[in-house]
Amino acid sequence: MKGPGWTTRPAASFQFPAGLRDEWLSTGLSTEPADRTTAEASVTELYRLIGEPCPSFQWVPSPAAAIEITRASPDRFPLIRLRSADTSRRCRGGRLVAAALATLHSDLRSSLDRRIERRPSGSDWLRPRTADALVFTPEDALLSGIGLEDVLEAAIYRSLRGTLRDAIAIPLRSALAAALGDADNRDNKATGFCWWGQHDAYWVARYDIWQRSGLARYRPSDQRELNLWAALARSAGWWWPGRGLCVLSERPVTLHAEPTPGSHHGVLRLHRADGPALVFGDGFGICVVHGTPVPEWVMSRPTVELIRRELNVEVRRTAIERLGWDAYIRQAGLSLVASRPDPGNPGAPLSLYDDLADGRILVVTNGTPEPDGRRRRYGINVPASFDDPAEAAAWTYGLTGGHYGLLARRT
Amino acid sequence: MLTLADLTSRTGLDVLSHLEREAAIPVIEGLQAQGDLIVVPFADLTEVMIVPDAYWREVPGSGIDVLRGGAGGNPHTLVADPGACRWTTGVRDNTGLALGVLAAIGVAYLVHPEHGGSGIAPGTYVIRRQRERGRLPSRLSDTAIMSRFIAD
Repeated sequence: MKGPGWTTRPAASFQFPAGLRDEWLSTGLSTEPADRTTAEASVTELYRLIGEPCPSFQWVPSPAAAIEITRASPDRFPLIRLRSADTSRRCRGGRLVAAALATLHSDLRSSLDRRIERRPSGSDWLRPRTADALVFTPEDALLSGIGLEDVLEAAIYRSLRGTLRDAIAIPLRSALAAALGDADNRDNKATGFCWWGQHDAYWVARYDIWQRSGLARYRPSDQRELNLWAALARSAGWWWPGRGLCVLSERPVTLHAEPTPGSHHGVLRLHRADGPALVFGDGFGICVVHGTPVPEWVMSRPTVELIRRELNVEVRRTAIERLGWDAYIRQAGLSLVASRPDPGNPGAPLSLYDDLADGRILVVTNGTPEPDGRRRRYGINVPASFDDPAEAAAWTYGLTGGHYGLLARRT
Repeated sequence: MLTLADLTSRTGLDVLSHLEREAAIPVIEGLQAQGDLIVVPFADLTEVMIVPDAYWREVPGSGIDVLRGGAGGNPHTLVADPGACRWTTGVRDNTGLALGVLAAIGVAYLVHPEHGGSGIAPGTYVIRRQRERGRLPSRLSDTAIMSRFIAD
């Protein structure tokens, strides 16, 4: 370990700062009203750093309401594409406030990254040791000799990013773009360029926890700038910086989440079975079932017609499960091609149905009962060329029908 | 023979409370499925090859997740006594379904929060995941089958 920002410390004696991560997680999940004074002061200071005068502020209840305002004022909120030519310092003092802020932010992160000796954190590539750390608890990872840097990366940065960015902010942005009829949202054309306030906590926390755990020290000017982003993460929702005007959104008023299965680091995903999982004060919300974002009809009125029109397999599956597989088979008028016992799964048939609109569906039964004692039935899409349910079941595992017939046990 | 209760207390893994915890887990040397995974004796799958420079990891007492939960899925964890089982993901499989190969000189177990435990007799096995046919936009030929993985 080297560099002026380092404090060396044996990893084994290090206490994993779970409390700091959880503090930032609850910041990112907060449904409290915004702290408008703090947010406005922080934005004002960021504007000052890029040579812009103090803007006026407009608060709205949701990101959807913010976009209505920014799209109505393209002169204050021009579309920007984050290419080097657009973000160069020559633009400072010009019209591209958002681009200048992006440059400021990017410079800050490069400088902080140098102090914690890592390759840029925006990369989606995992170092092999970080990948190892992802499958252990932090304590076990440290005991097994994985370095502190990799453990913190997995247990803090990857964890918060998985929850706040991947499971909340990105589905929210997609829903906003889809509502505007531009699901692609290329170069943020539909949603405009904004910062995520509380959902920026995932990257702010990374630098903050290194510093507060005594593992890194930053230049005083960098620390002051980081504090501004941290204050915004703690005080507001998404915000759109424009020339002379900054539009800020309140935080959501309702948020329902559940642990993401298989995470050793407390990653959460949105989930609510009886309504939108994320709702803002003006009623704008998004529906998410076990981490799968779904259109509103899936929750309120799943019908065979809408299910058949849906191209996204996850959305279809969620919709059919809300309707129930048996009801779907009945209402959709699927005809039974053949049925036979599932080897290794006593009492459960493998039933192959023909869905004229959609090839063939193999309806199977779980080998293990649900908490209510029933065994869940569900459908698997298979190629239309199969007539034999066992052949179709075998195909799902890349086996031949004869081979699948040898199945000794299914759980 | 181990029970699910033995396995969960050894590994610290959690399973849903309604699963039968006191019954011995059958140890099987043939084909067996655990939800969206299937365990296939290596010798029965001639199309699966282990690459020459495959890296073998010893399976620790706390287990290795052979498939981590993604959207809607729970992890399947391979566990064994220390020194009794090795695992590699260095495999080539024409179907693209193989997650890896385990080689065990003692009994190994697959554990899943909803499916419970599967006992695997000493030997070499391929673990594959399950696929289904994807849906194609109508403008594409329906002879081209896109498949996708199943996660439970």
